[in-house]
Amino acid sequence: MKQFGTILKFELQYYAKNKVFVGVTVFLVALIAVAMFFPRLASLFVSEGQEATVSEDRPVLLVCAEDPSLEALASPAFSAAFPGYEVQPADEAAVRERVGSGEAECGFVLDSLTSYTYYVNNLTMYDSNTAAADEALRTVYRLSAMEQHGIDAQEAQQILSAPVSHSVENLGADQTKSFFYTYIMIFALYMVILLYGQMVATNVATEKSSRAMEVLITSAKPVAMMFGKVISSCLAGLTQLLCVFGTALLCYRLTSSDWDGNPIVSSLFGIPPYLLGYMLLFFLLGFLLYAFLFGAVGSTATKLEDINTSVMPITLVFVLAFLVVLPAMTSGTVDSPLMIVCSFLPFTSPMAMFTRIAMSTVPVWEIVLSVAILAASVAGIGVLSAKIYRAGVLLYGSAPKIKDIFRMLRRA
Amino acid sequence: MKLELQNISKSFGEKQVLKGFSFTAESGKAFGLLGRNGAGKTTTIRILMGVFPADGGTILLDGKPIDYGRVSIGYLPEERGLYPKKKILDQLVYFAELKGMKHRDAVSAVDDWLRRLEMAEYRNKRLDTLSKGNQQKIQLITALAHDPQILILDEPFSGLDPVNAMMLEDVVKEEIARGKIVIFSSHQMNYIEEFCDSIAILNGGVAVLQGDLRELKRSRAKDVLVVRSPQRERILADFAGSAKPGESDTLLIRLPAPEKKQAVMSRLAARYDVDEIKVFEPSLNDIFVEYAGEQA
Repeated sequence: MKQFGTILKFELQYYAKNKVFVGVTVFLVALIAVAMFFPRLASLFVSEGQEATVSEDRPVLLVCAEDPSLEALASPAFSAAFPGYEVQPADEAAVRERVGSGEAECGFVLDSLTSYTYYVNNLTMYDSNTAAADEALRTVYRLSAMEQHGIDAQEAQQILSAPVSHSVENLGADQTKSFFYTYIMIFALYMVILLYGQMVATNVATEKSSRAMEVLITSAKPVAMMFGKVISSCLAGLTQLLCVFGTALLCYRLTSSDWDGNPIVSSLFGIPPYLLGYMLLFFLLGFLLYAFLFGAVGSTATKLEDINTSVMPITLVFVLAFLVVLPAMTSGTVDSPLMIVCSFLPFTSPMAMFTRIAMSTVPVWEIVLSVAILAASVAGIGVLSAKIYRAGVLLYGSAPKIKDIFRMLRRA
Repeated sequence: MKLELQNISKSFGEKQVLKGFSFTAESGKAFGLLGRNGAGKTTTIRILMGVFPADGGTILLDGKPIDYGRVSIGYLPEERGLYPKKKILDQLVYFAELKGMKHRDAVSAVDDWLRRLEMAEYRNKRLDTLSKGNQQKIQLITALAHDPQILILDEPFSGLDPVNAMMLEDVVKEEIARGKIVIFSSHQMNYIEEFCDSIAILNGGVAVLQGDLRELKRSRAKDVLVVRSPQRERILADFAGSAKPGESDTLLIRLPAPEKKQAVMSRLAARYDVDEIKVFEPSLNDIFVEYAGEQA
């Protein structure tokens, strides 16, 4: 235990004195601070006059209708439906030419109120102009149809835009709010585990390639070495996260009035405390699980160059876990069978279970079981890694195959 | 203190490295662990230090199984290397603390050794700013700072200049005089002959020769004569079968039996023009080549 303390202190000093680590932390903290103060800073530079000039340069939208009565109905409807555009009448040839040359952004050639051709130069992924035009034309068509049936315009307008009031009574998690902070937390977990895992592996391999291991292994117990390294990197990672998130929170407190109109930022900082607790729990367990594996793999590499290929299988498993969780999260189907299975498997549960807790309602027994499986796996893999480490650190030459590692484990 | 390794065996996969190796080392004396490259010296040292267990055999300290929690061991590995990018004081204190020293004691012990080895000026330098020989002196401190009862030195003199080698010789002699068990492993036989009272030669996983170095030399059969003579070729022809060329123009003549020494000497002196005749005394080098030369 005393050895563990000595190793922990030494390894933590490594992070504290590491210029890259300190530099990156300071950079991230500064970046977050600037981002949080951005609206306030931006408002200092934008004057009233600049805002006014923006509206003069509106893109041109062309409307072509052969029939003057059709034109009379459609033009005001398009002007109302596309407030960001300058709506101009044109004939069909002019629409083709002006849209093709880029002078006008798009054009509509109307056959009737229920049929038209949309002209655009480059169709973007997010082009919703046809949907807006459909809606505008449909309204005009309905209004004119109702007028023909003897209902006056005002009455028809009222019928078409009858308001429906509703209220939402949510009994579980609110995905509209939880999505953003879950996303950020999962991403933070992903980045920290990959970066620090690699650091642990490199750290072990460096000691081995510099032959400091020859003295270390005869001075300290492998279990103490492994746990000392992994837990110190865990603390370093946690410190970095706390610095970044702490700065963000502090800056939000100072600037919260600037963010009132921004639902994303407001929901980010409205994260419930119990979720932060789960975040911390799954972060710690997930980090330890992967860091132990990275450490064990680092011990089997002889040269630093071998590290990248050696850690590939672990990185792959982790990226797969991320790729399962991310689509489930963005599509909102966090309780799919795949996600439920993943929330119990130790290699995926830190991300999968956390996502489910944040974005859905998970029975308590499922959470307890998932955490228990994860914690037991961390302990098991910790001891196993220490054994691989003890056998691995004294092996030089070609990196051992998986088969050899298992044989070493049986003997250890 | 008396350290006994009894019947140690160890295999790695199919390869059996040690097949019942035994030796005894006592405090106040230096013990030489010899063997060719790959003979199993490092494996023996690692088993002795408890890095991994032996497949069979026992390690006794003063007759009781060794307790790694209570005995302290200092080790200078043949493969040198510490943390190149870290401050010398920091890493030396770290290693001393790992060996169980308190921080304050560790700092003062390290400082004492840095002064003793004339390295105090490098205290706050990074290790990779030092020359190779000086790095080796720093590494020696990791083996000595915690004042171990057992000191294991693997090729301690390789890479040292004569001044540093002499400084190390003094340190080793002091440690021996202070009642430490010192185990030496080296291929530089002159150092083994200088320091070690007893040796073991490891070959094929067993000790092919071991005991008190002087006794071993003395007890060697005196059945070879060294002859220096201008009539070298004639003697070689006359003694065909038992004579062979020796070093620097000498001849080596193997006697049919040690008792025939006198008779053969008289015959040589009477028949040939002889400058010098003496009984051959093997050096440790000769003994090593003889016993470790062939893979058993």
